[in-house]
Formats: sequence, structure tokens, C-alpha cells
Amino acid sequence: MRQRPTSTAEPRLSAETQQNLFAYALVVPVALLLVGLVGYPLFYAVYVSFTNMVVGGGGDWIGLANFQYLAGSPVFASAIWNTVVLVVVSDAFKLAIGLGLALLVNERIPARGLFRSFLMLPWAMPAFVAFLTWRVLYQPIGGGINLILTNTGLYPEIVDWLGQRSTAMPAVIVASVWRGFPFWFISILAGLQNIPAELYEAARVDGANAWQRFRAVTWPGIKRVVIITTLLSSIWTANSFESVWLLTQGGPSDATMVFPVLAYFGMQTQRIGEAAAVSVAMLPALLILVFITTSLMQGDESERD
Amino acid sequence: MVTRGFWTRRSILHATVGAVALGTKGLSGAVAAPYVLQKGSKVTYWGGLIFSDKANKLLQEAVKTWGDQNGITTEVVMINQNETVQKVSAAIASNTMPDGLDMSLDLLMVLSKQGVFLPLDDVYESIGKANGGWFAPVASATDTSKVAGGRTGIPFGVSGNLLLRRTDLLKTAGFEKPPATWQELVQQAAAVTKPPLFGLGLAFSNVGDGNVQVSALQSFGGRIADDTGTKAAIKSNETREYLRWVKDAWDKKVFPPGNTTWDGAGDNQSYLAGQAAFIANTGSVGIAARTQDPELYKDTAYSSLPAGPKGVVSPLQPQVRAVSKSSKNPDAAKALIEHLAQPTFMNAYYDAAIYGPVLQDQAKFKGFTQDPILSGLLDLVQKGTAPGYPDIYNTAYADMWNNFVVPKMVQRVVVDNWDLDRAMDEAQTQTQAIYDKYK
Repeated sequence: MRQRPTSTAEPRLSAETQQNLFAYALVVPVALLLVGLVGYPLFYAVYVSFTNMVVGGGGDWIGLANFQYLAGSPVFASAIWNTVVLVVVSDAFKLAIGLGLALLVNERIPARGLFRSFLMLPWAMPAFVAFLTWRVLYQPIGGGINLILTNTGLYPEIVDWLGQRSTAMPAVIVASVWRGFPFWFISILAGLQNIPAELYEAARVDGANAWQRFRAVTWPGIKRVVIITTLLSSIWTANSFESVWLLTQGGPSDATMVFPVLAYFGMQTQRIGEAAAVSVAMLPALLILVFITTSLMQGDESERD
Repeated sequence: MVTRGFWTRRSILHATVGAVALGTKGLSGAVAAPYVLQKGSKVTYWGGLIFSDKANKLLQEAVKTWGDQNGITTEVVMINQNETVQKVSAAIASNTMPDGLDMSLDLLMVLSKQGVFLPLDDVYESIGKANGGWFAPVASATDTSKVAGGRTGIPFGVSGNLLLRRTDLLKTAGFEKPPATWQELVQQAAAVTKPPLFGLGLAFSNVGDGNVQVSALQSFGGRIADDTGTKAAIKSNETREYLRWVKDAWDKKVFPPGNTTWDGAGDNQSYLAGQAAFIANTGSVGIAARTQDPELYKDTAYSSLPAGPKGVVSPLQPQVRAVSKSSKNPDAAKALIEHLAQPTFMNAYYDAAIYGPVLQDQAKFKGFTQDPILSGLLDLVQKGTAPGYPDIYNTAYADMWNNFVVPKMVQRVVVDNWDLDRAMDEAQTQTQAIYDKYK
């Protein structure tokens, strides 16, 4: 009698496990890419901020010494305050201008396409060209703004826009808003165009006025876009180097000193550890911003579901 | 019909490069040091990009010509001097340093301490011997023996600040001679100030030009640190006197508006635009005026920085060439650096560049005897002070310099209206914190 052969093979993986493994295999390349391109530089920068690394040297672990040095520096407190002011004020203006223009251009107005393209020009321009142009406009002697003021008789004196504490930060904010508002405009416009026209019709039928239509239909429709735009714009503005460096180099005094410029000064002194500490000092604030916005977005999605 | 002149800028440049190449032909084998040059090997060189296109091209052509003569492939990359630190940092981290490179003295000091460069004592001796010896201030300023156990940098040019003045305006106001003191400078500047023309185009901003104020402070007897080079000494009666001078000049409104936020070209533009009667500059403005505004060039005179109660403080800022320790072709890099010190090349290079000489025999070059800007730079090399003098030029001093501590102190006084002691207190604390990092 022939014996039935006993099976020595391992039990086969369940279909579900196989599916999970396959999914992981698909994710691995992306995960590796993220670790390599995002994780490694990020954690390396954090590590360097705890060392006394200088150009050409490996650097020894010095704990919190770089951060203690920064905290003791008067310019560090100014950099925190100035960065917050630059981000909050310029984002507020960008929102107001971007939203206003998006609402306007979303209406059926003549030459709407041309108008939309024209509004994108500041954002299309290379940043250094834009800010150098603003620097020329702000020149105390021969600068465009002063020429207008003196020629029209509005203000006959020479105004040193970038050289006075009272006007330097507003001047940087104006240039920053001019360069950044098109991104807000185009993002909000895209959000507006996704709102079904029927919702407005229904609101009109219900007797809603313009403000009520904005509050009940428009704002809920663009809220998510505005939140994402705020997040991105805040991160870009906080990290923006050209706007301040090309206009004021952080001066006069410390009136416009912001984190990226402070980090650049660290590099100029060839102390990489110190420069990294300035950048790392920004991280908690940016992480909180990312966390809050992500939570808001997830909450928004749950509501939709 | 428009016809181009026989002598175009390009043809002159080519002729000059050709002359340099011819003049140095065959000299590659005549260098004193016994370098082993392998045909078919490669040398990468990072040249310092400067204001003069002609000088940049001369350097590139000279390296290429040397490579062609010796059967060595050369690659010259011109690096913007404002980006040298970043590029070198990245190159060290990725082990892609060039064989040779140009840089400033402060970067050389930091990197020599890290052991990044080869000792070049043999090259230094050989070049000095062949060219009548090095100027003593240059030799002492670039001596890295204490930090690197040998000389790692070969000086090739010196920059520093000259006082440029508008003779046409000043003569009209009754001033024939250059101001001998800082007070005289303000007096003359105030006499010609008539907006939109301002007398004194000195930068008070966070850029290199703003650090002219360090020299002014030191000439008043102020110090950055004590004689040990470890303890901040900014707060003093002498610094207070210096700040009084600044405040007095500021209140006289002799500075062009914007000088507290000028970028590196602010004083240049101000002078070239006819908005300033005096500026302190390396001479690049003179070069620009020579081509852009011959009338202004004619009306410009050059002198040393004014004196304070402790005399003139006018630091040399040497530029050096070095060979990376990681070079795979160190002998070729050394030979190239020695080749670049040949008189024929340097004579043409100095005419186009804005550097003072580093070797005694170079003082006989036509430019240093005839051109007013180059003569001023020769004068600076012969009479100027060592970097940092009377302070000790160490890494902490360089850190203070790159953090613009003194211009920022001045900004506190003129922009924020702080009283002098408060401004000095902040600068003192900041400087001590910097010096403490290097203990």
C-alpha cells in the first residue's frame, strides 16, 4: 500500500498577509526615498546643532552650548519677534489681497483671463529680481517711491525707507506681500471654482445677502484651501532669506533680523554647528504649525465623511 | 556704417593673455622646487571671482596655458568670494575639494587649523627668493605656522581700504589736502554736503564695508579684546570717544541716507552716482570709474584712512592660494601656484585687478609706479597695519569681524538712539560671548 506523502512544506501565508506584504513592498522605495531626502538631512542638521562643527572640521558634541549662546544673544530675541511679525502680518495681507482679487476675478468681468495672468506676474518673477527691484524703489535718493512722493508734493523730504527702524520692517513686509499674494490668489481662485453654482442659487432663493452667501457658501468651500495656503505661506515666509537679505541684511540695527539671515551670519563665521542651531531653533514652531494645520484638515475631512 | 575699432577690449585682452603666455612659456620647467608633473593628470583650481572680468579671464587663461604647456588637464572654476565658505564647506563634506584654490586670510586660518591644507613652505621660499622677498607685513600676516605647523597660504594680492575723495568738490570748498584725521574728514565732508550730495559715504551696515568702523575705533585707541586675545575690551573711554565722533558726524547729516543698510556695493554706487564726496574702498570704485565715468576718475584722489589719536589703523587683507591636503595631484598644484607668481603674469593681473603687491620686486611693476589706485595699494602694503592690529588676529577676532559687532554698535547709536554706554555694553557682552566660544 502506498503511503500518502507527508507534507513538509511551510503553511502558506494567508491572502491578507500576502496583500499586506505586497503593500509594504510598494511603499518601501518611497519610504527609503523619504528617509534619504528628508529624514537624513533633517536629523543630521539636528545632530550638527549639538556640535561645535566648523568648516572643515568634524565637530564634537557640546550639548546645548550653541542654543545657550543663541539664547544669550540679544539679536536672537529680535529674530524670533521679527520672524513672527513678518509671517503673521504678511500672511494677513496676502490673505486679504489674495481673497479679494480671487473673488473679483471669479466674477464675470471683461478681460478676466488677461487679468488673471497679469496678477500672477510677481510670483513668476525670480525672487532676487523682485526684491532687488524693491530695493531700487526704496532707495532714498532716486528711488521710485521717493520720486513719486516728492514730485507729487505729497512728502518733500527724503525718506530712508530701509534705513529707519520705523519703516524697515513695513517695507520688507510690503515687498514680501507683493511677491507672495499671487500664490494665495490662485489657490483661493481654484477653491472658488470648485464650489457648485447651485449652492449660490439655493442661497439666493433662500434670500441670503452677499455677506451671508460668503459666510454660508464661499467660506466653507475655500476654508480648506486657505488653511493649506496659510501653512505653506507661513513656512515659506519664515524660511524666506532673499526678502530680508536683499533689502536690509537684517538691519538697520536688528530691526529686520529674521532666522534665515541669522543662520547665514552663522555660516559666514564658518561655525556650522551654530548656524544649524539657529535653523533647528525654528523647528518646534514650524512643527506646531504643521501639527495644528494637519489636525484641522483631518477634522475637516471627517466632517465631510 | 558703424565700424569697430582695431583695438577692442577683447582684442586687448587676447593680446595681453598671449603676451603673458609667451612671457611665461618655458618657465614652467624653471621653477626652483622639484615638482613631479605627470602628463595626462588633472588639476582643478578654484579661482576667486573678483570685480574685474579682465583679471578673472587672465587667471583662467594663465592656468589653461600652464596646463597645455605641461600636458596637464586643468579645470578652473571661478568662485564668487561671498560664496567661498559655503562651497568649501560642501566640498570638504563631500570630499571633493579642488587641488588648489584662492581664498581670504580668515578662511585660510580656520581651515588650516582643521588640517585641510598642505604645508607650502617650499613654494613660499621659492617664490620669495625669485622675487626679491616678501613684504614684511604680508609675510607676518599670512604666517600660519602656529596653527598649522607651516605656511599653508601663498599670498598673491593685498586689499584694504583707501580713502577716495572728490577733488573737484573739495578744492572748490578750499580743501587741497586729504584729511589727516577723522575730525578733519567730517569737517571737509560737512563743507561739501548739499543734498542730494553727501560728504561722507561710509557704510554703517552689516557688510564688509561696515567694518571700516573697526579701524576707526582702533585708531581712536579702542580695542576689541585685551592683549591676550581672550577678553573683550570694547567698553572703554577710547571707544566712547570714537562713538562721540560717529554721533557728531551723524548729527551733522553728512552720511547719505541708506548707509545703515547698504549692501556690499552701496558705497560704490553712492560714489559713482555722485552722491558721496568721500568713501573708504578697496579701489574697485576707481576701476569702475575709469571705464564708466572718466571725468569722475580724473576728479578722484586716493589717500590712506585718516588718523585717530592713536595714529592710522589701516589693516591689510591678504588673499592667498592654497593646496588641499586631499589633492591627488599636489605637486602639479604647487607648480601651478608657483607659476602664477611669475612676474609677467602678475604684472598683467595687477593692472586689471585691484590688489596691492605681496613681493618686493612687484613694487617695480609699471602699475604700482604710475596708476594712482595701484600706487595707493602699494602704499597700503608698505605702511598698512597687520590684520586686527592693535588687537590679536585670531579666530575669535575673525568671528567678531564677521558678526559685524562694531557696525551694529554704531547702528544702536545712530538708528536706535541708544546712549553710548548702553551700545558699548551690548557690544562688550556680545564680543565676550564670541571670545568665550574659543577658550
